[in-house]
Amino acid sequence: MKDFRILILLDKFKAVFERFGVDYSIMRRILQVKLAMDERRVPTVMKDNSSKKKSDQSNSIAKSLLFYGVLGIMLVPFVFSKGNYLFQMSFLFGILMFMMMTILISDFSSVLLDLKDKDIILSRPVNGKTLSMAKTLHITIYMFYITFSFTGPSLLISLYRQGFLFFMVFLSEIILMDLLIVALTALLYLLILKFFDGEKLKDIINYVQIILSIALSIGYQLIGRLFDFRDMMNISFVPRWWQSLIPSMWFGGLFELILNNNYSSHIMLFSALALIIPVLSIILYIKLTSTFERNLQKLNDSSGNVKVRGKGFNYYLSGIFCRTKEEKTFFRFAADMMRSERNFKLKVYPSLGLSLILPLIFLLPKFKNAGWESLAQGKMYFNIYFVALIVPTILMTIGYSDKYKGAWIYNMLPFDDAGYIYKGTLKAVIINLLVPLYIFESIIFMIIFKGRIAIDLIIVFLNIILFIAICFKILKMPLPFSEAFGVVNQSQGLIIIPLFIAISVLAAVHYFAAGISYGRYIYILLSVIANLYIWKKFLDRKTILLPYEDEA
Amino acid sequence: MELHNKPIITIRGLEKSFGDKKVLKGIDLDIYSGQIIGYIGPNGAGKSTTVKIMLGLMGKYTGEINIFGRNISDGNAEYKKKIGYVPETADIYDNLTGREYLTFIGELYGLDHDEADEKAMRLMELFGLKEVYDSRISSYSKGMRQKAVIVSSLLNNPDILFLDEPLSGMDANSVMVFKEVLTELASKGKTIFYSSHIMEVVEKISSRIILINDGQIVADGSFDELKKKSMEGSLEEIFNDLTGFNEHKDIAAQIVSVVQGV
Repeated sequence: MKDFRILILLDKFKAVFERFGVDYSIMRRILQVKLAMDERRVPTVMKDNSSKKKSDQSNSIAKSLLFYGVLGIMLVPFVFSKGNYLFQMSFLFGILMFMMMTILISDFSSVLLDLKDKDIILSRPVNGKTLSMAKTLHITIYMFYITFSFTGPSLLISLYRQGFLFFMVFLSEIILMDLLIVALTALLYLLILKFFDGEKLKDIINYVQIILSIALSIGYQLIGRLFDFRDMMNISFVPRWWQSLIPSMWFGGLFELILNNNYSSHIMLFSALALIIPVLSIILYIKLTSTFERNLQKLNDSSGNVKVRGKGFNYYLSGIFCRTKEEKTFFRFAADMMRSERNFKLKVYPSLGLSLILPLIFLLPKFKNAGWESLAQGKMYFNIYFVALIVPTILMTIGYSDKYKGAWIYNMLPFDDAGYIYKGTLKAVIINLLVPLYIFESIIFMIIFKGRIAIDLIIVFLNIILFIAICFKILKMPLPFSEAFGVVNQSQGLIIIPLFIAISVLAAVHYFAAGISYGRYIYILLSVIANLYIWKKFLDRKTILLPYEDEA
Repeated sequence: MELHNKPIITIRGLEKSFGDKKVLKGIDLDIYSGQIIGYIGPNGAGKSTTVKIMLGLMGKYTGEINIFGRNISDGNAEYKKKIGYVPETADIYDNLTGREYLTFIGELYGLDHDEADEKAMRLMELFGLKEVYDSRISSYSKGMRQKAVIVSSLLNNPDILFLDEPLSGMDANSVMVFKEVLTELASKGKTIFYSSHIMEVVEKISSRIILINDGQIVADGSFDELKKKSMEGSLEEIFNDLTGFNEHKDIAAQIVSVVQGV
């Protein structure tokens, strides 16, 4: 097994770890094993072409780091202008913290909450603190990789443009910020672990993750739109007490203190917080860390009380919307899986929240500039098409599952027609996820735009249903819940573009039809026909066959 | 057998609850070295829980556990240096090769790399896994994985072995070898804590059988002692008897009728 450079770097801090009661050589060995395993994890998307397996393995990490590097160019403007460091750097750190927090919660929570380690490692003479520290460092190493690729462009530019002192402050604050985020997240989990156990605990963690990512992404959208950035640079700063609650302000404050020699009390306070809080949370985390491992076991405890459930609402829904028995079966299967698969919820629900809020957010500028009346008279209700953005996300996720190994049942089916499976699944998606979302959004839009848009809302819905069939055709979904979650969406990234074009064309035709008299009614008729035809063509019996095991 | 005057494991008044459900309701045990203990009981009786508590994998219990003469509740993991463990659902980092995984585990026990490697290689060879020592564990069959897990539990020359359904997936020849190994180890003074649902095996290898039902010990003694007490012929029957289960024929008949009814 190779020795990783990062571990050699870590060796320099050996004494620090030992001070905290960590068995350094054991921790280092655990980390080495973990890093080696990560390098070998073949992303599911590359499974099929086994020929290029080997060379791609370490590349997939490098590729995503490159992606973050390119994305990081958007931070460069913040380090370009001089003077108003407090604002520009708080803003930069705001974006940065948002990014890192989301990544940490969605991608690395599983590492933190992993139970496998426990049986394998803790049954050996390893103390909980050492394992916990190894896990935390494992995550932190990736956080650092990602943060430094993301901030790489702006770090370089800042060195050239703002000088060495700025660069150093920037660099050390990035490190502090990463530590803060990792420690805070771990402490949050620790708190939840304290009060709950078993399946309920898993649910609560799941919901916290979902709520957090929804809050983060919505907040991000809102802040970007509510503040005009050019104004921002010229605003004179008015200190308020609540500003000291915003972590990104602390980091901005330290720049102001060091580079502008601003020694006013609130800047001093911000800077102090920027240094103290991360260190404090790390110390607190280390103090509590052995409790963490012990409480983790609660994830597996069963408290026993199980509610007896009847057939459930979906049984009746499947009866209404599906014609064949096979289709009904897979409708209910998909509905049950979507309800219980936490990883699916974690990946999809935040986007659901976002697609709920996005159409409304895009109304904001118009509302601000032209007022309520003119907004309600206008054509902005076409924004509701943004709801359709959820469709590719769902379809790209539904082929994956944590329990993908259960998919052997597909080989046991007494029929060879996968059309049933997909049709039932897609219908379950529409009825269980899309319809409630769409009805809710429609009510809001009806309140804003009044009853005149009712017909349009029906057209939009028909178009979205049509869009689902199109997405299905283009995306080439694996069988529902049949593959392991991995780096799911990476290779499918570019496929989004033709999908966007497809929904835009549908929306454009709708927009055009709305302009002529009776156009909308004719459109409804045509759309129903198109739906029936396309759904039949793409998803009918015998159009898709189940793959044989050696093909799958 | 019990010439040793000092028990290697003592458990006093062990209780454990999940939420408001009590899983262990007061376990008292003294275990001496050289014993092979068949630890049996119905599903959910608390077998794995007892073992996990002894391994320090589960917190918050009441009662006292001493292993190698030390109370284990102080959080010091040192005592595990001389313990081997084969869990029921044997998780394993299967994208490592056999060599990588086993040397890693050996090092966790405090062996150095070459020592662990040497030992693991020889054990794997003896289990017939020499060829796959450098292949990823994910390519192993179920029985091969199980053997690898067993090897990992033996690397540290443990004084106490906790085995939970250790034979699952292994072929008959390997089973024979392994059973012989257990007997040999016991004769060398090692203590083996063996949980299984396969009564024939437990009956044959155990020098002492402990039956736990609903969180309590309901029988404790050698097979002959148990046989005398309960007047039954085989361990399976004793098991049925002591867990109050005697309608197996009736249930089987009902199952068959349900199967045919569809």
